[in-house]
Amino acid sequence: MALITPNTVYASSEGGEEDLAIKEIIFHHLGDGYGWEVPFSHHHRIPLPIIVKDCNGEWHCFSSARVSHGETYEGFYIAGHDSEYSGKVVSKDASGKEYRPTDFSITKNVLALLISMIVVMACVLSVARWHRRNGAKAPRKGLGAIEALITFIYDGVIKSTLKDKAPRFAPYLMTAFFFIFVMNLLGLIVIFPGGANLTGNIAVTLVLAVLTFLMTNIFGTKHYWKDIFWPDVPLWLKFPIPIMPVIEIFGMFTKPAALTVRLFANMMGGHMIVIVLTMLIFIFAPMGAAVTGATTVVSVLFSIFMLLIDVLVSFIQAYVFTMLSTIFISLAQENPHHEEHK
Amino acid sequence: MELFTPDFGLIFWMFLSFAVLFFVLAKWGWPVILKGIDQRAELIDKGVEYAQNAKEQLDHAREEAEKYIAEARRQQADMLREADKMKTQIIEDAREAAQKEAQKVMDAAKQSIEQARKEAEQNFRDEVSSFALDIAGKVVRTQLADEKAQKQLVNTLLDEIENKN
Repeated sequence: MALITPNTVYASSEGGEEDLAIKEIIFHHLGDGYGWEVPFSHHHRIPLPIIVKDCNGEWHCFSSARVSHGETYEGFYIAGHDSEYSGKVVSKDASGKEYRPTDFSITKNVLALLISMIVVMACVLSVARWHRRNGAKAPRKGLGAIEALITFIYDGVIKSTLKDKAPRFAPYLMTAFFFIFVMNLLGLIVIFPGGANLTGNIAVTLVLAVLTFLMTNIFGTKHYWKDIFWPDVPLWLKFPIPIMPVIEIFGMFTKPAALTVRLFANMMGGHMIVIVLTMLIFIFAPMGAAVTGATTVVSVLFSIFMLLIDVLVSFIQAYVFTMLSTIFISLAQENPHHEEHK
Repeated sequence: MELFTPDFGLIFWMFLSFAVLFFVLAKWGWPVILKGIDQRAELIDKGVEYAQNAKEQLDHAREEAEKYIAEARRQQADMLREADKMKTQIIEDAREAAQKEAQKVMDAAKQSIEQARKEAEQNFRDEVSSFALDIAGKVVRTQLADEKAQKQLVNTLLDEIENKN
């Protein structure tokens, strides 16, 4: 995330566009990319495969190294700053107009996603293997820690809210929790397997929230749907103008929207603060050695502090997402009250 | 701005990887782990219950043992008392039996003495009568003349004999 070499900043500051460069660097590091930065070099990147479908319906697959320095390969190039599709792979159609092809590239975020997936899978399956092999014995050390986390989420959040329906929804909720948690943590690691601002990307959080929305509504009970379209309120509130149903339906969609934005904004904010703190060093650099030195010490201390807080936030946000998903699902599992008292 | 517009490619990959992760973990991960944890919890519960039962039984056993000891002591005391009673009883019985036996012996002796006395009396009578007959014979031989005097003599003699006895 914070792999900024002074060269980049000074290169642009010579052109008198310091502000712009800093903003660009911040958004570059918050965003996605076709290569993965490596330490100590801004020029070299780990090349990643670009998979695109052009306007003629043909698939192209090539390494990002072929276009990373402004080259054009098979008609594809990375759009410049002035373009509508800045930073994305684009091409030109027959009339010479720039367009964006259907892009299924393994970008930095996609690779981070796959790495997170493998990490989660390895963690959970190793605990599962322990259980299969050792029966009722309790795992120790690393596996024990993972299991403690599993029990914490399962007993503390899922079981206590969903009660007897917990085993039905546990796989989704647990998967979501561990996936988000690992993505959050990997995002905080500065070098290769981490550093992608994954959960601070709205596409990722959107998919997660949509999945919760689907889980909520697909498995919703009759009573849940009745409460939406014909709630227990005075008649004039639902007929002839359906005020309450409209509010309820609106509420159905605000829940996943809140989930999306909460996770996205929290994680992106954390990343942004650390980058800005690091950038402070380069902003103060022209003011002399003493100021730069002092800023460096303060910035690094604050960065470390913020990163530690982000570790906490990583857990809290994964926890909150899981908890809210559980609550939304459990609200849709409600049965009429007279049945509950039986 | 790029940051706020979800990228289709990333949505696709995110959905795919989440789906893969979900299916793998839902099949081989979570059920195994949750079942394992449940089983362990059950095992621990059973262990605790077992330990509690064992402790209860132990406490109970101690109580029982004390009860048995008390019972044994009581029985011992009873037995001693009974033995004592039996001892006096036996002594009493023996004394009674001895007394009875002695009585019997004494009765037998009395009877035999009586019999001996009676026999002696009879013998004496026989002898007396034979003396009397002898005397009578003598009288008859000497005083045959006076019958009245004879009778008087006999009577006198008889009275004398009787008085002697």
